[in-house]
Amino acid sequence: MGAARYNRQIILKGFGEEAQQKLLRAKVLVIGAGGLGCPALQYLAAAGIGHIGIIDDDAISLSNLHRQILFTTADIGKLKVEVAAKRLQEMNPQIGIIRHPIRLQKNNTLDILSRYDYILDGTDNFESRYLISDACALLNKPLIFAAVSGFEGQLAIFNVPDQLTPGTNYRDLFPVPPGKDEVPNCSENGIIGVLPGILGTMAAAETIKLIAKVGLPLTNRILNYNLLTQEQYTISITHGKGYVIPKTVDEFLNMDYQDTSEGPQGYIEIDAAELVKLQQSESTILIDVRERHEVPVLDKQIFTQVPMSEFGAFIGKEFYQKNVVLICQHGVRSVAAAEAMQEKYGDSKKIYSLKGGIIKWRDHFLKS
Amino acid sequence: MEIEIISFGQITEFINNQKIEVDGITDTDAFSKYIENRFPALKNLKYKLALNKNIVQHNTEITNQATIAIMPPFSGG
Repeated sequence: MGAARYNRQIILKGFGEEAQQKLLRAKVLVIGAGGLGCPALQYLAAAGIGHIGIIDDDAISLSNLHRQILFTTADIGKLKVEVAAKRLQEMNPQIGIIRHPIRLQKNNTLDILSRYDYILDGTDNFESRYLISDACALLNKPLIFAAVSGFEGQLAIFNVPDQLTPGTNYRDLFPVPPGKDEVPNCSENGIIGVLPGILGTMAAAETIKLIAKVGLPLTNRILNYNLLTQEQYTISITHGKGYVIPKTVDEFLNMDYQDTSEGPQGYIEIDAAELVKLQQSESTILIDVRERHEVPVLDKQIFTQVPMSEFGAFIGKEFYQKNVVLICQHGVRSVAAAEAMQEKYGDSKKIYSLKGGIIKWRDHFLKS
Repeated sequence: MEIEIISFGQITEFINNQKIEVDGITDTDAFSKYIENRFPALKNLKYKLALNKNIVQHNTEITNQATIAIMPPFSGG
């Protein structure tokens, strides 16, 4: 069945018909159809993984296209899951593609992940990564983890034992997630398209090796990849101690994964319409927390510039305005700034963060 | 004693790969203290040490010509 399609890998010494059958029987879930997910999906589909699930609730935007290579310019505005599924099905009609156009949250994660044998994490934020890692550890599912930052990437396989060590998980490396202002993300820091292409492809390779039982998958190891030097540095992972990880479904459901939608917070996330309303008030200060080199440049008469790198010195200063609206490029740093201000000023000021940042409300900022 | 330091991600912005000559640093706890004092920016970041390519999970003895990697978490995709 479809032997001709997979002929080149079936005739490969050390792979063969048996390995191909294992791929065909496997169910793999790819979380995030982005820079990592797109190349991973392409190779998993082409290789003949029998069932591939895709989770993503996002729509395609122009700035995705330099790295999310399943999508074309004509796809802008469409759901990633729909476009990816259609494209992959055209590439390989012999496999099943399952669409999950949703955002993973505590209450749907265990249900969806339990339907698959292998989970590939190609998400872009720590909330999702800890949620997925904990769920996979609880369900004892092999997790293929890929992540990028700047010109570097990390790749690992969790929850798969080897001869020496029972399966390790992400919390064995990093017991708790970093704060929002600690680690810059791709949309704030930039990313070169080919890097997630390489890491996503390597994640697909590890998935295929794990399923087909060929070679030495990165179980209990983390590979650090550097695009600028083409160097790799692999570190063995052992079990850590004393960290909190949910061991039952109830414990999992009681964890705090800092979903911005459900977390307790003293500040308010607003849209551009609310920003306009607040702007009318004389008791409102608008603060742009981006660094000075960032574009677009906003009118400094209207937006006070306090870059995050100088925020510590600013905070604690006296100012008369009651309402503080924090703005950055994508609404991530402004949340960190809002948390810091909330802590400092408490209820004496009303703190707001522009959700989605300048990029989301570009039209509003370009006309003002 | 000579220790080789390898760093990753945003940590490379303030700690280059380098060999250092240190006295009196005989275990990984002492190394953490030393490196955080020398590079205070590290104190505000999450990172994990690896000694000779093995993740450090408890205080471990360091011998001459050891390699210590300093690895932050990545989340981008």
